[in-house]
Amino acid sequence: MKTLITRLPLALGKWKWELAVLAVLVLFPFAAGLTIGKPDALPPEVRGLERLARLTETGPAKFWQGMVIQMLILAVFAISYDLLLGYTGLLSFGHAMFYGTGGYVIGILLKHFHWPWWAALGMVVLVAVLQSLIFGTLSLRVRGVYLAMVTLAFAEFFYILSEAGDFRQYTGADDGLHGIYVHPAISPTDYRLRFYFLTLAFFVVAYLAARRLVNSPTGRVMVAIRENEQRAAMLGYNTFTYKLVALIAAGLLASLAGCFNAVYNLGVTPAVLGVGTTIDVLAMTIVGGVGTMTGPVLGAAIVHLLGYWLNRLFGPIWTLLFGAAFVLIVVFLPYGIVGTVRARSFQWRTGWRRWMQLLGLRRETPVR
Amino acid sequence: MLKQYRATLTFIAIVVFLISVGYAWLGPVRATSAVLSGLTLAALYFLLGAGLSLIFGLMDVLNFAHGIIFMIGAYIGYSLFGNPRLFTNTLPLILMVVAGALVGVYIGRPLRAWEARRRQLPADAPPLRIILSRIAPSVLLALLAVGLLFWGTRGFPLNRLIAFEPTATGGAVPTAQAQEPLSHMAVRLVGMMVAGLLLGPVLVREKRLEARGPFWKTLVVSLILSAVAAIVLWTRDPAERFMLGLSVDVRFVLALLAGAATGALLGVFIETVFIRSFYGRPVTQLVLTLGLMFIGVELVRAIWGKEGRPPMAVPSLFAESCRSPNLIAWLSERCSSIDVLGRAFPTYRLFIILIGLVILIGVWILLRYTRLGMIVRAGVQDSAMVEALGINVRRVFTLVFALGSALAALGGVVAAPFVGVYPDMGGAFQLQAFIAVVIGGMGSYIGTAVGAIILGLARAFGDVLVTGGIPLPWTEQVLRASPAIARASTVLIMAIVLLVRPAGIFGQKE
Repeated sequence: MKTLITRLPLALGKWKWELAVLAVLVLFPFAAGLTIGKPDALPPEVRGLERLARLTETGPAKFWQGMVIQMLILAVFAISYDLLLGYTGLLSFGHAMFYGTGGYVIGILLKHFHWPWWAALGMVVLVAVLQSLIFGTLSLRVRGVYLAMVTLAFAEFFYILSEAGDFRQYTGADDGLHGIYVHPAISPTDYRLRFYFLTLAFFVVAYLAARRLVNSPTGRVMVAIRENEQRAAMLGYNTFTYKLVALIAAGLLASLAGCFNAVYNLGVTPAVLGVGTTIDVLAMTIVGGVGTMTGPVLGAAIVHLLGYWLNRLFGPIWTLLFGAAFVLIVVFLPYGIVGTVRARSFQWRTGWRRWMQLLGLRRETPVR
Repeated sequence: MLKQYRATLTFIAIVVFLISVGYAWLGPVRATSAVLSGLTLAALYFLLGAGLSLIFGLMDVLNFAHGIIFMIGAYIGYSLFGNPRLFTNTLPLILMVVAGALVGVYIGRPLRAWEARRRQLPADAPPLRIILSRIAPSVLLALLAVGLLFWGTRGFPLNRLIAFEPTATGGAVPTAQAQEPLSHMAVRLVGMMVAGLLLGPVLVREKRLEARGPFWKTLVVSLILSAVAAIVLWTRDPAERFMLGLSVDVRFVLALLAGAATGALLGVFIETVFIRSFYGRPVTQLVLTLGLMFIGVELVRAIWGKEGRPPMAVPSLFAESCRSPNLIAWLSERCSSIDVLGRAFPTYRLFIILIGLVILIGVWILLRYTRLGMIVRAGVQDSAMVEALGINVRRVFTLVFALGSALAALGGVVAAPFVGVYPDMGGAFQLQAFIAVVIGGMGSYIGTAVGAIILGLARAFGDVLVTGGIPLPWTEQVLRASPAIARASTVLIMAIVLLVRPAGIFGQKE
């Protein structure tokens, strides 16, 4: 107990940024409810904490809560992609496959087979692990360009299946699967605040799990494979196994994110399995910074907002503009925001010091 | 001996296996037409896959936007065939941008040189100066140019020009006025030219800041382009009447040429802007071409609409609705189908097979017996060595990229009377071409042809079997599925090949 108390400030200091973000995310719905909520929509007899909670479900506050929910889901998706691209160096163009399959599995089980949610969730995990095992054993036999091509082909396979009329009674074919039954206590339409905190908890757990994996000995080997696969193999690591582990972890996280996405939207469409989703996740990872943990989270928020604003401003042509923005990002921001900040922070700090010195606010000599 | 011909023997074994299974299952009549259908598909897959494979072999770049070039080629050919008005109205605008940009690049060089000098700041310069030095005048010019492009094309009746029901499927000649008056178009032309001028400095490469050639040459080229633009615009009505007055055959050939030329131009554009600048960063190249694939589909959707178009009208040689008993009778009767063992088979598909064969042999001769082909083959083996021998490999890269893209676009135009045009066709055909290339072995020209044939045959038999119903053993039930399933199941073939021989039938081990 005593060690816990003495260590607490140290732990708090180490996690200060994460905790600050978490605090902001926890307070966000209430702040939104108080500022942009519609108090007139509530009956006056509702008072106190209940009023605060109900306020978050009104007007724009509810909408922006939904936006943050989607950002959190996409952030988990982007983190899972970064495990592949950023940490293991596998360029997969088929990541939408896991995201969409997770959504379809939980949607079909909840809607057509009326499974309880925990069983459906268990099935999603099982399917994700199996899928990434099969996908990995086949596609990890090739490298580089081949890998990108083969993964794209596998993703197209599932896209075609989801669009095919043969399974219309289950998947809804090209109309998509709609009207998923969600337990009313966590319904994202009626109790968005509860769903918000559920998603937040999922995000925190996923983030911590991914971080743990990356910082574990396995994660170190993954980074070694990214840097030089032959050397890692020379050191005695079975690189295939480690790549497979990375793929399974990424597939699992992406599937769960896809499952949350399906439940939040109460439906899945074939477009979720399409190449557009892979472009989205690539854009998020690259904008934020490949090979970092915070980058994809930041990227998910930025890309989602960018898509929203482009849609608001330009209407249906926004996908085209989003594609153009994607190309520009890849060309001009190859290391992402976090990567650029890390690379430049020393430069900026010395520059700042010189400014301070010039203004006479600081006397020490700048570091040369 | 056996080892040397292992790949060829494997290929023959697979084809014999496929065909004999097909014959045993379907009987000779249905199987023969399935084989012919398979070869038709194979020809199209080959046209796409050849470019992919050559480009990959030479420069280790996989162009994910290859299917898009195929699709855009198809759309361009389709539009030129049935709706020349679209071109007489849009081509001048594009020409003017190019004409402006040519001069703009020339004038922009000193500006870029000045910018490059200014950017060389010490590493610990104050942050504000770093930020200010990055906001270069050329970026501002580019923004202005983009704004001008938007302003210049604002209200352009593209939708009316497109929606104009084309005569591509044999419909009536359009009479309605969909085009803008010439005075409006003239204002737009000037706007486009200025936008091109402003865009010029951005297009300058930092590595090539010194100007090449005298200024008047650039100016003359630019003036000629502008003159062509003006003439095309001025004569747009007679030109359209002339185009639509031509016979179907001539228009078809024109469509083929226009499609291939567009493909080549697109290929050069992609290579110089997106591939060459990122040499040595393969991940960036791949991600960029994937982004282009996405943009291409959205662009086609935005311009031509989400719905596809029915198949294009076929040339007169395949147009009469009758059935010829044999090939010689067909040449005089010009029937749309021909008798194959008592079953009708569309003659246009035979033409597709012929085109595929001609291209296969033509490119093979090019590779085998010309100097360029020799350089390409040597480049596939070891491009650094070829460069060391004093050959400009970069230029060969661009040429091969243009050639591959032209083949893909040509395939698109050839496919238009067969499957029609629709925004997903690029992705669908590219997927099959990928699989064909994986089966045959990346970077091997013969391998691509072999992969295309295997895949085409498998697809054709799969289509017949799946839609006709496969009787399941030990049950009374029949497994029946839609063609989509047959299309998806080719991915399983790729999976099997990856398990057995990851490098493909003709591929070298990594």
